[in-house]
Amino acid sequence: MLEKSVLERIINEALESSADFAEVFVENTLQNSLSMQDSAVQKALSNELKGVGIRIAKGYKSVYGHTNKTDEQSLMALTKDLKTAFSGNRVRETVKLGTIQSKNNHKVKTYPNEVDVAEKVTLLKRADKAARLYSKDIKQVNLSYMDTVQEVVIASSESIFVKDARVRTRLGINSVASNEKDMQHGFNGPGGSYGFEFYDQIEVEEEAREASRIAVTMLYADDCPSKTMPVVIDNGFGGVIFHEACGHSLEATSVAKNASVFSGKKGEKIGSDLVTAIDDGTIANAWGSANYDDEGLPQKRRVLIDKGVLTSYMVDQLNGRRMNEASTHSSRRQSYRFAPTSRMSNTYIDNGESTFDEIIENTEYGLYARKMGGGSVNPSTGDFNFSVMEGYMIRNGKIAEPVKGATLVGTGKDALKKIDMVGNNLLRSQGMCGSVSGSIAADVGQPTIRIASITVGGRKEDAS
Amino acid sequence: MNFKPLFEKATKVGFEAIQIKYSESRSVDLEVFKGDLDKHEISDSKGLVLEGIYQGKMGKMSTENIDESFFDSWLQTLKSSAEAVESEDPVVIYEGDDAYKEVEGVYSEALETLSVEAKKKIVFELEERVRNADDRIDISEAFYSESSRYVLLENSKGLSLEKRVNHAVLGAHIVAKANDDSRSAFDYIQSNQPQDFNTDELVENVVERGTSMLGAAPIESGKYDVIIENRTSANLLGAFLSMFKAENVQKGLSKLKGKLNEPIAHAQVSLIENPFMEKSPKSTGFDGEGVATYKKHIIDKGVLKTYMHNLKTAKKDSVESTGNGFGGGISHTNLFIEPGEQSLDTMLKEMGDGLFITSLQGLHSGTSAISGDFSLQASGYVVKDGKLDKPVSLITVSSNYLELLGTINTIGSDLKFTFSYLGSPSIRLNAMSVSGK
Repeated sequence: MLEKSVLERIINEALESSADFAEVFVENTLQNSLSMQDSAVQKALSNELKGVGIRIAKGYKSVYGHTNKTDEQSLMALTKDLKTAFSGNRVRETVKLGTIQSKNNHKVKTYPNEVDVAEKVTLLKRADKAARLYSKDIKQVNLSYMDTVQEVVIASSESIFVKDARVRTRLGINSVASNEKDMQHGFNGPGGSYGFEFYDQIEVEEEAREASRIAVTMLYADDCPSKTMPVVIDNGFGGVIFHEACGHSLEATSVAKNASVFSGKKGEKIGSDLVTAIDDGTIANAWGSANYDDEGLPQKRRVLIDKGVLTSYMVDQLNGRRMNEASTHSSRRQSYRFAPTSRMSNTYIDNGESTFDEIIENTEYGLYARKMGGGSVNPSTGDFNFSVMEGYMIRNGKIAEPVKGATLVGTGKDALKKIDMVGNNLLRSQGMCGSVSGSIAADVGQPTIRIASITVGGRKEDAS
Repeated sequence: MNFKPLFEKATKVGFEAIQIKYSESRSVDLEVFKGDLDKHEISDSKGLVLEGIYQGKMGKMSTENIDESFFDSWLQTLKSSAEAVESEDPVVIYEGDDAYKEVEGVYSEALETLSVEAKKKIVFELEERVRNADDRIDISEAFYSESSRYVLLENSKGLSLEKRVNHAVLGAHIVAKANDDSRSAFDYIQSNQPQDFNTDELVENVVERGTSMLGAAPIESGKYDVIIENRTSANLLGAFLSMFKAENVQKGLSKLKGKLNEPIAHAQVSLIENPFMEKSPKSTGFDGEGVATYKKHIIDKGVLKTYMHNLKTAKKDSVESTGNGFGGGISHTNLFIEPGEQSLDTMLKEMGDGLFITSLQGLHSGTSAISGDFSLQASGYVVKDGKLDKPVSLITVSSNYLELLGTINTIGSDLKFTFSYLGSPSIRLNAMSVSGK
């Protein structure tokens, strides 16, 4: 990692211009991954990232450069190149960095690099065996294992000088069930900000069987009807609906530019009374947690929506300047290759009071989306769509036959208002979130919720 | 850096063969938002990928920390990677082909030497023109993204190949707003020749696309004749590309298994890969494994002629690699549905009444590349008497990609490529299942 004096020289060189902000992000990351198919390890990869990102800004205008030529001379050359964007007299005094800060609320017991590859292989074999034994319809199981240790040093003109180590691991199980007629798959991917001890905390076989259960259920499912109807979305990964439909629109990335449906709506009622939503990057060892955000500010818990009222956006320093708001310490990036911006961490709808049974019993007819697939949203319009990985019809207040191929279509602002039941069984689930500053680990979550009415797309024509 | 000593060390410690891919890349990204330069990023990076065969297994690693002093530790990492692999799949490091085509028009000095100021000017102008084109334009953004790449591929069997490509994309994104309704649109030009960045058509397209979608609403559910616009059809093809990759076929993850030389699409459909297209950064005379590339039909008049192979999958099937080995897996260079005769206007006229779909969302989640099923949110226009009528949004179209290829009614002449160099003309389909109101 670069020495403090080098960091100071880069920052001060950058400020030898009309710029009023300069930041250096130094990264060294080791990643290991394994993949298994046909019950045999196919690939074992290791990857090392080593580079530096330099950001210089004046007001909310910024330039960013990154390189993995990390000697002082190359970095100074890059800095000189970047600062040409801000010609003019110096506006900031000489920056002196203090003592480097480092706290760690996400303790790791076994660093993944200290674990023998053979142990990681054993883990995949256990998952593979359990997934296959679930049913004779399971014809293929694709497994992936990953661990990453991202060490960063962040220094900026804003009295920031921190280091952080982000350790994460995840197991992905993708079971494929097939017969003469059809082929369906089911996915489950538990992970966290842990070392290898994570796998002592979860039941690996149970997680694997879950992926197979979804695949087999969907193999025998009928096509979902196309219709507008009430939809009950289960807890855990069901929270992707909030993440996509509302979370992205609450990021300063779109809010600051007035490009979000929620721009200028702070203090206003944007959802039903039942909706309280939180983005919390401090949850111990959660998948989307960190000690500091990627501008070096300590991670926080943010109440985004309180009983339907918009209370906070997710804001980074530069977008905060544009919005005239303080940072909520929400700046994140995939790696030094990306300029950071406001992003979600662990985002969820908070518990309500209904039980799961009450929600189903109170739904005469509708769709029960037990497991959601992915989705996407257009942040300027709020239009979203999600695929339902595992769905069932609800008839007469009871869960009925499984259905496949369902898509939920709507807009975020409508959906938030139409949430008319919220369960008491909050669960978080892991995902990778892709946006302008790259692909980052993020938890989604919610209790079981009901949306009173939403368009369901399916392959079967209107039926009841 | 001289990698010969690495190769020698590798042989000494028991590797059968070893290969390096060294790359250097530079990029410039500019973005103008409502008259301000909102993004200005530059990068200069290098990377190294190493592969080595040890006791019949392929070890692999990559690093950005590149120095001769790491040779020994790299070999150690490679060895433990190889030792973890259990797959009995064949492994190959290639000695090379007799000849490689010199691909022309993929590196442009003119682009490289154009000053950052000149590039900024192009983006500023584009954004200003778009912003002033219509009162309903609420948000206007223009971007310029340029990259330049050098690749060196060498191995212990004597292979040594290099290439240099560069390329830029100029695009604009708008949000049009009226009566509390917002609609976004974007369009782009990609080339490596500065003179191709003529923005007249770009401005017109992006403004028209955004403003004409204002007031879009769902239509009644039912079966509709549909034309899917060129770039949207190309994106849809991208979601199902894995079907054509031999690795998925061999692992039972493609419905095209056992379908070689059988009709899998309508006789009008040809799917072509051309690695020698000018101005495309994907064009190359050799793939990532050092195999010479060539132009080929994957689907020829509806008949599946070949899967895309790399060395490993080719060896398994006892065929030759098709030169599609990239990044350790299988990928395409420039792949497109062969255009037909009809212009989009003629297609609309011939269809008369139906839907024109300009956007499909959720391609990464609403599709199953294994089964071919898709159910996607769509927007576009009602077509009435051969003309675009009112805008449509929040509808879902559902089908199966192979069914779609089999029932194509017409293929247009308006071939357009996506950023990943997948291309398609507009295509017309009959009686597609649409869910709306």
